[in-house]
Amino acid sequence: MNRPLVILLGALVLGAAIFAGSFYFSQRACANMMGGKDDLSWLQNEFHLGSAEMARVRQLHEGYLPQCMKLCAKIAAKKDEVAAALANGTNVTAEVQMKLTELGELHAQCQAQMLQHFVDVSRAMPPEEGRRYLAEMERITIGFDGDEQAMPTSAHGNH
Amino acid sequence: MKKENTNHTDEKLGALLRESRVSPILPPRFQENVWRRIEDAEAAATSSRTATWLEEFVALILRPRFAYATVAVLMCAGILLGAHSGVQTARHDAEARYVASVAPDSLR
Repeated sequence: MNRPLVILLGALVLGAAIFAGSFYFSQRACANMMGGKDDLSWLQNEFHLGSAEMARVRQLHEGYLPQCMKLCAKIAAKKDEVAAALANGTNVTAEVQMKLTELGELHAQCQAQMLQHFVDVSRAMPPEEGRRYLAEMERITIGFDGDEQAMPTSAHGNH
Repeated sequence: MKKENTNHTDEKLGALLRESRVSPILPPRFQENVWRRIEDAEAAATSSRTATWLEEFVALILRPRFAYATVAVLMCAGILLGAHSGVQTARHDAEARYVASVAPDSLR
């Protein structure tokens, strides 16, 4: 390989390394600087909430979390019951079916509670931002994005 | 009289020379080889022009002013794009953290 070509390739490699290094360090610095520990920081930035609105949202959030945890514990316990019922036999017995129905009811209860929380939070926001928040949360959590084709996978895929 | 003699000698000499001319025997595929050599020579000239262009370009990028400017541009582009990407990453992480806090995995 001749000398000018080697120099050109070396320059290209050096340039790529300089660009990649700058990109990496800048990205890390920005992500560290902007990433807080507060779970609600996204709401404040994304939906442009003032301090009074944030205080109300925080109050709702803190009131919702214990209820959510209680239902999650019930769901986990019910899943254990289903697993135990399944382990006892090779068929889907009446008991297993009953436990699955109960598990489904708990899921539905939990989802309803979660959606009610989103509605409450959206009401604590300015109307336009509240509507946007509600639509975004329904899209993320339930898969309500107006696309009927997307419903089955997003609503049932991760259960 | 003398002139007539001279003309006669010239004609004889001419005839002798014509007889003694050897028509050379060309080697096999002579014409093809000639064309190939011509093409090779042209290709070498093109290659030489490319090498010259490369050398000129390398000389340009090795100039300190050009090198410093390139490094500065690359660093600025890297920093700006990295910052943009970092902001997006932080936003995405914050969103994921909020969603995880209000919607357990089993409900999504």
